[in-house]
Amino acid sequence: MSDPIAQLIFLIIKAILLPVIIVMMVAFIIFFERKFAGFFQGRVGPTYLGPWGSFQSFGDIFKLLSKEDLIPDKADKPVFRMAPYLIFIPAFLVMAVLPFGPVGGEANLFGYRFDYVIANFDAALVLFLAVGAISVYGVVLAGWSSNSNFSLIGGLRAGAQMVSYELAMGFSVVGVMLMANSMSFVDIVNGQAGNFWNWYFIPQVVGGVIFFIATLAELNRTPFDLAEAEQELVAGYLTEYSGMRWGLFLFAEYVNMVVISAIMSTLYFGGWRAPLEVLDFIPGPIWLFIKIAAFIFLYMWIRWTIFRYRYNQLMSIGWKVLLPLSILNLAVTAVVIAIVG
Amino acid sequence: MGLKDVVKKGTFVDILLGMSVTGTYFVTDKVTVEYPKEKLQTYPRFRGVHALLSDPDTGDTKCVACMLCPTVCPAQCIRVIGEQTPEGRSHPAEFEIDLSRCIFCGLCEEVCPVAAIVMTKVYELATYDKNDFLLDKEWLMANAVNAHKELVALPPGAGETRPPAGPVKIAGTPGAPVQAAGLAAGPVSPPGTSVGVGEGN
Repeated sequence: MSDPIAQLIFLIIKAILLPVIIVMMVAFIIFFERKFAGFFQGRVGPTYLGPWGSFQSFGDIFKLLSKEDLIPDKADKPVFRMAPYLIFIPAFLVMAVLPFGPVGGEANLFGYRFDYVIANFDAALVLFLAVGAISVYGVVLAGWSSNSNFSLIGGLRAGAQMVSYELAMGFSVVGVMLMANSMSFVDIVNGQAGNFWNWYFIPQVVGGVIFFIATLAELNRTPFDLAEAEQELVAGYLTEYSGMRWGLFLFAEYVNMVVISAIMSTLYFGGWRAPLEVLDFIPGPIWLFIKIAAFIFLYMWIRWTIFRYRYNQLMSIGWKVLLPLSILNLAVTAVVIAIVG
Repeated sequence: MGLKDVVKKGTFVDILLGMSVTGTYFVTDKVTVEYPKEKLQTYPRFRGVHALLSDPDTGDTKCVACMLCPTVCPAQCIRVIGEQTPEGRSHPAEFEIDLSRCIFCGLCEEVCPVAAIVMTKVYELATYDKNDFLLDKEWLMANAVNAHKELVALPPGAGETRPPAGPVKIAGTPGAPVQAAGLAAGPVSPPGTSVGVGEGN
């Protein structure tokens, strides 16, 4: 078997396996979200289905599948149906350029070169920003097509929020790009080789924190979940959705969470690399998994701690604090790199 | 906004404080009582569904059909028809409580001159048939097993006199006399139905 054919087979296997793994992860993340929601409030969370209640998500899925699929009479039906997919297809797309292990000559499988990435794309960072911006269309179109006031306001809020925070996010990411001198995730991870003090989070701490806050807003999670603010908007853009169509939105939210956590760890926390070089014997995918899990836990912790911001607070944080800070961070990084080299 | 505020917001002090609070809850013991699996011990004066205590010597109910409880009952849910036993003792031929009217005030228990009618620990009263709410004399006498200990005739000093400090978790063991299977255990429920979502359902 020649090398190109082996690479093609590996590619197909990776392209099938990665989404499956993410879907399985999401099923358990939804369970852990509910479990930890209980823990943070002094409750025990779901306990009935499976050991420790761990099959709760599958019970939820069966419940959602057995529900009636309801589309409002006056809704824009094709758009209404399309909206959920518009959110999670971009998320899966980004996973294609994300390295989950060594790329290049070092790794070998059955005598063939095995790259732990689906596509070593040079402009991965741009792809991430571009594709991430598409997913907001899902929210906005869901709100628009529902033909409901609550949905529309929720969708518009989400749109405004994403526009505001995407800017700060983009600027903060440029700092990492400058340090790695590349836009490819593979090169960015390679630039963080070595121990954990080589990670970009240390020099880029301002950018990292801004990026993290912006991802909270991108994910529409508390404290930035104004798009589905229950007290004001029933359920925001989700108001008219029910059954599995609603489940797809929930599913997409958690897929996005996995992907954003993976990008957060790739950009600032060494990606698949071990925190200490002596720990390199543990394979890269496991380290990436641990980092993703840690960030997801942090997202949950924040969700169950901080209240939702008011809309004007959200806007003033985005435009008056995060955006200037991220530009400043970019300028300082550029100057330092120009001087130090 | 002074420098102090800037530092405070830039270091996320308030948010980290809040997260430490929720983090503490994350690791501390949970307060949940997983109800059907484990149940709270009722207080010794808990007013659950009634029971008619019986005289250990004769086996008949202690009730003398004095009509004080139907008289005092504010919901008028007790119906008693008295008769004479062959020994010449007054005794209820019929004793019926309509639980769908009862407000569990406990006045019947307080007014009873012979301590025949008591309130018990049974609180699981859900049913599929509203006829089950009509409790007759046999059912009430069978429910005496669930009566609070100090209300049943006991040797002096054997009963608990003080309530426990707080609700005590007890493990749910089906069929134990303490447990609320009491209503379902009553012998004269209408066929095919039972009061109380006990283990039997």
